[in-house]
Amino acid sequence: MNINMKAAVVAVSAAIGISAGMATDDARAQAGAPIKVGFVTELTGPWTFFGTSCVAGLKFATDEINKAGGALGRPLEFVIQDNQTNPSAAVAASRNLDVNDKVVALSGPTSSDTALAMYGYAEQQKIPFLVPVAAFPQLTKPGTKYTFRIEPNAAGWGYSIAKFLEQRKPGAKVALMYSDAALMRAIVAGFKYQAPRSKVNIVADVLFPQGSTDATVQAAQVKAANPDYVIVIGAGAFDNVLTNQLLDLGVKPEQIIHPYGITSQVFGWGQRSAGSIYGTFFDIGLDSLTKEGKDFISRFDSANSRPPSYVENYCYNTPYILKEALQNAGSADREKLRDALSKLKTRELTSGVPIEFDKNGARKEYMYFMQIVSVDGKRTYKSKQIFYNEWDAEVIPVYDLVK
Amino acid sequence: MSDATLLILASTVSTGLILGAIFALVAAGVTIVYGCVWLPNASNGQFFLLAALAAWSLTGAGWGSALAIIAVLALGIVLSLLLEWVLIRRLYDVANRNVAYFVVTLGLTQIMSGIFSLTYGRWSDQFTLPPLVAGITMIGPFPLPNNRIAVLVIAFGVLAALFALLRYHRYGRALRAVFQNREAAALRGVDVRAIYKLSFLLGSSIIFLGGLLFALAYSFDLTVAWTMSVTAFAIMIVGGPGSVVGALAVGLVFGFTQAIVSIFASPTAATFSYLAAMLAILLFKPTGLFSK
Repeated sequence: MNINMKAAVVAVSAAIGISAGMATDDARAQAGAPIKVGFVTELTGPWTFFGTSCVAGLKFATDEINKAGGALGRPLEFVIQDNQTNPSAAVAASRNLDVNDKVVALSGPTSSDTALAMYGYAEQQKIPFLVPVAAFPQLTKPGTKYTFRIEPNAAGWGYSIAKFLEQRKPGAKVALMYSDAALMRAIVAGFKYQAPRSKVNIVADVLFPQGSTDATVQAAQVKAANPDYVIVIGAGAFDNVLTNQLLDLGVKPEQIIHPYGITSQVFGWGQRSAGSIYGTFFDIGLDSLTKEGKDFISRFDSANSRPPSYVENYCYNTPYILKEALQNAGSADREKLRDALSKLKTRELTSGVPIEFDKNGARKEYMYFMQIVSVDGKRTYKSKQIFYNEWDAEVIPVYDLVK
Repeated sequence: MSDATLLILASTVSTGLILGAIFALVAAGVTIVYGCVWLPNASNGQFFLLAALAAWSLTGAGWGSALAIIAVLALGIVLSLLLEWVLIRRLYDVANRNVAYFVVTLGLTQIMSGIFSLTYGRWSDQFTLPPLVAGITMIGPFPLPNNRIAVLVIAFGVLAALFALLRYHRYGRALRAVFQNREAAALRGVDVRAIYKLSFLLGSSIIFLGGLLFALAYSFDLTVAWTMSVTAFAIMIVGGPGSVVGALAVGLVFGFTQAIVSIFASPTAATFSYLAAMLAILLFKPTGLFSK
């Protein structure tokens, strides 16, 4: 069985197993009915990889929490529903969980489109909504009350890249190559806003339509512009094509920056990309991994035959964040939980980075920049941390930059 | 001429040639089936994608690219025979069968698209094949991957063989006779139904090969099926239904149009530029450039 198939089996097993596991947890946990949280994620459709990876991370934390007595002395139960990577299905599932399961909170989406659909429902119905992995800025736009986002917003990633370059090579010449998707546009908007302020010069700016498969001509254009760095953000497998075509043309790996990298992407870039740089929010090569973080990586790797990335990490931390907020709230009441989330000041269990939310539910933001040291096929890789920064979400006019 | 200009020029020529060759190949497959069987196969793009996905699965399971390509081509032949036997032949004698075929294959498109989405959707960020040939050849300052040279050679080789087959072989002459007049061909002793079957098999296999070459040269995702389907039909209409030479010429024009527009305008404009070229050509030659 190849790795893809293995991963699929593991992911589906995780999705099924987490539901089955709840029965055991119920029996094991302390007295009281479970505290239910609706977890609406992408188990089918184009975002399946993220949804199933997220559920795999969630499972570890849920098991640990319930073995340790749950939250408020009751088991924590994540009722998982598939949103099919479809905003309408995400709303329908949210409504079902709200009305029929009486969940105390909603969580789960890993796509900005589905998260935005759930955002509308959660804000309207006044249900605390903890978004694990979705970076579109408007999820925490001014006036947001019930939504809290764990992942930094994408415009902030662009800001962070400019700050990284400001420190790494003052006056750097940068080329941008990116796909025409909401996430990529938001990253570029943040970067373009901050670039002149960080004295970074944009010498080429190439936007590819969705579904692009080749960049031979544009890679040659970029090479001819002689940039110090190329920021590469291709959608899907096109990201690998962009990277390889730049490398073919003689662009050095050290000149290539990927704004974000998860395990499967690092495998896709491969050994020839050793030396290239990627942004992330959690990685096996972080300097600041806690004991729990190292333990999570080790157990996740054993179970899934690959290391976790920030997607799995955020979904691993989600139950812990909810547990702490529930304990602080002192009851499984939606309003009290919302208040507790808005006042939460804690740290990620796995890396120790701060978790606190501003008045709109945006997190105190941060980003790591990693450099690939080596890639061992599709089994593992080595990376080293070369930069870290933190910022407040509104250090740039994020909600005006990306509507 | 500076190195930078040479680099851009060489990249434009290589992109135009490779893209054009693959477009031409797929359009040739489409035009043979349409010209002979009168079958506007709306599911062409899905079969193109099926070939690419099958090769991706096999290489992911550890097969070499060359072996995977041979296996997928064999699979394509078997599937084409099966489809012809189960579905296509039942409509050979239906009046206005082109409409019936279009509706049937549209349904097939929906079914295949749904299946691909369910089974492969989760891996859509990973669809690339390992190269058939490793290494790079420098053309002036431009490094052209040997893998793409191999794709180019195979595509033009198959197109040349196809042209020779249709021009000089007994089967080719019979096929062209059916193209031109089914009844007259039958009166001259041509087994029209056998020619239909062979044409469908040949055309579908070429489309399968097109999918494989595309996957070797580029990354792909599930939307490539729709893009390729529209492109192949557009080439066939502009080139003239039934004309392999037309498919080759217009395929190359479309390939170069995309490459040139993407450098002088933008990659976004390039995606629809060739369709604008199609409309412009049809305004002056509604029957297609190479129709007889």
